[in-house]
Amino acid sequence: MEYRIEQQKELSEKLRILADAAKYDVACTSSGVDRSNTGKGIGNCIVPGICHSFSADGRCISLLKILFTNECVFDCKYCINRRSNDVPRASFTPQEVCDLTIGFYRRNYIEGLFLSSGIIQSPDVTMDLLYQTLWKLRREYGFQGYIHVKAIPGADAELIARTGYLADRMSVNLELPTGEGLKVLAPQKQRSKMMAPIRQVREARKQNKNELALYRHAPKFVPAGQSTQMIIGATGESDWQIMKVAEHMYQKYEMKRVFYSAFLRVNEDSLLPVLPGGPPLLREHRLYQADWLLRFYGFGTEELLSEENPDFNLLLDPKCDWALRHLDRFPVEVMGADYHTLLRVPGIGYRSAGRIVKARGLGTLDYGNLKKMGVVLKRAVYFITCGGRQMYPVKLQEDYILRNLLDGKEKLSADAKDTSVYRQMSLFDDPRFSV
Amino acid sequence: MIRVFQCEDTLTGIMTGVYDAWDSRLGHGQVRLQTAQNMEPELFCEYVTVFPDLVKAEKVLRTIQRRMGEEAFEMIAYASSYPDDRKADALYRMIVLGLHLPDGREICGMLTQPEVRLVFELRRKAWHIAHRYMGFVRFRELKSGVLLSVIDAEADVLALIAPHFADRLPLENWTIYDRRRKKAAVHPAGKGWLILEEVEEACFCSQKESEEEARYDALWKIFHQAVGIAERTNPDLQSSFLPRKFRPFMNEFSGQQEASKGGRDLL
Repeated sequence: MEYRIEQQKELSEKLRILADAAKYDVACTSSGVDRSNTGKGIGNCIVPGICHSFSADGRCISLLKILFTNECVFDCKYCINRRSNDVPRASFTPQEVCDLTIGFYRRNYIEGLFLSSGIIQSPDVTMDLLYQTLWKLRREYGFQGYIHVKAIPGADAELIARTGYLADRMSVNLELPTGEGLKVLAPQKQRSKMMAPIRQVREARKQNKNELALYRHAPKFVPAGQSTQMIIGATGESDWQIMKVAEHMYQKYEMKRVFYSAFLRVNEDSLLPVLPGGPPLLREHRLYQADWLLRFYGFGTEELLSEENPDFNLLLDPKCDWALRHLDRFPVEVMGADYHTLLRVPGIGYRSAGRIVKARGLGTLDYGNLKKMGVVLKRAVYFITCGGRQMYPVKLQEDYILRNLLDGKEKLSADAKDTSVYRQMSLFDDPRFSV
Repeated sequence: MIRVFQCEDTLTGIMTGVYDAWDSRLGHGQVRLQTAQNMEPELFCEYVTVFPDLVKAEKVLRTIQRRMGEEAFEMIAYASSYPDDRKADALYRMIVLGLHLPDGREICGMLTQPEVRLVFELRRKAWHIAHRYMGFVRFRELKSGVLLSVIDAEADVLALIAPHFADRLPLENWTIYDRRRKKAAVHPAGKGWLILEEVEEACFCSQKESEEEARYDALWKIFHQAVGIAERTNPDLQSSFLPRKFRPFMNEFSGQQEASKGGRDLL
């Protein structure tokens, strides 16, 4: 980089550039670790994580999310920091990152650090810089707050292993759901290279679990697990393919989270799709809903989608959609059904299902109780009976339920609205008059 | 004739009320507890004012912990911090119920009982507020190096969030001041935290901020601006997570508040 003639930038300018460049990373969670302060340094972590602020787009700000540098040797089509883009470039020093983190953390602005980076010179050099920063923060400043760091694909395994002992969460972004998409939009990246650090972290975590069982105070390796992220809508993958990949990541790689990021067209490139309706936010929302169904509700991708029906219904959330396709399983009797059956009822979440199971052993439930316990009766009423009764008479008919379930509040895109269920009525086929 | 025990709106006050009400031996149906001072008096009621008594309150709390378990204990402590006129009586009924169960720990799951459900709800609300404040508290560094934060909390959360900050910043001198209740949680570096009552804001806020403070304040505002994605702007979503009542106390919104106020004045 000797040929680069540039003035040293102010810290505020660097922060502006590198926070702006890091904003496309979705993960900002600070959950999954419970760590008290040792009494010597600064910081602690609590399991649910803490949101410290919310940005104008409504996303939580929990961590100081920055790139170490936005200089990058790669030229990925979708990325704002690609080599061929003419954007202002900046790099922090480890000292600056530590100062910012501690200064913000003391004032309770943040819960910790999210450190990502463009690839400067080579993966090894980049990973080494990240490691040095973390080491300084943990060892010199005694920082015990949350640290989320990127594992750089292609970096030396030893460096990744060492960094893992300093960080709480590590992540590698898959970027695109399939290897084919990656070949088109990020030809310099290879799927196999990306999977290497993911696999390494998984193995090391397994081994670390055994160590911790033997020695309680053994250093913890990536205690909050790993996460990854996929861009939605940049290439032609279906929801089914995306969910398949996500399910695979959860089952095989013990990921804590898979994040979905609606594609934003930040670069002009003929290979990138044009999205006149803006980024596919509703589709992203549906994927997150389905993601929750996978992780907390015991659903499988095969139940929600199939090869013949590869995309989510944009009008309905995936759970309602599933329930409408399986009306033979309903209504469910709240006083009798087991926990897992309750979980599959639209309007009953895992918390309210837990409360129902606990409370019905100690008393009889009615609809008033259910509402107070957090059951969303607006949706659940079509699918449950309580004490053998429906709340009010409803028909178990797909058409009827669908019409009543449609949520006016969700922002449907223009093309989703066109496929809505409204249709010309005739005097004789109103479902309410069916005998 | 129902006897109404009027207690102070604190955990100690309510627990003393529970002790006195039970001790009056009138029968649980003949007594009632309330915390509100200016409630309309009823005709067929006799009103008794309860003075908070630490010894009595501790006896009750110890019994709760022993017979009803740690979860119920925490539930009661959290619920008592949330402002609700019904809470004192609900806590009393819940304790009566819990102590009559063969296994008092089951009380936490008895959500079909309206009193228990109310206490459960209040606990949840208090915890939500406390959890929000764990994130939304903003410290300013004063010249003396003390970190100061001012809040105006709906529930009495100081005692709920102070342990968290004491664990987080053990080597800092910090203070969180609750403007609504004129209380402050104070933590001297390396020591335990304590709560001061009836203190004026001027005691803390007269000091000037340190030089570093303005710099970090500016850096934080830059970061907060930069991290939002313009294409996804969604102020409704932002306000549902971060309601406007919190914003006057958060430095990243201080400039915007004035700007929007100015805009409104022009209109």
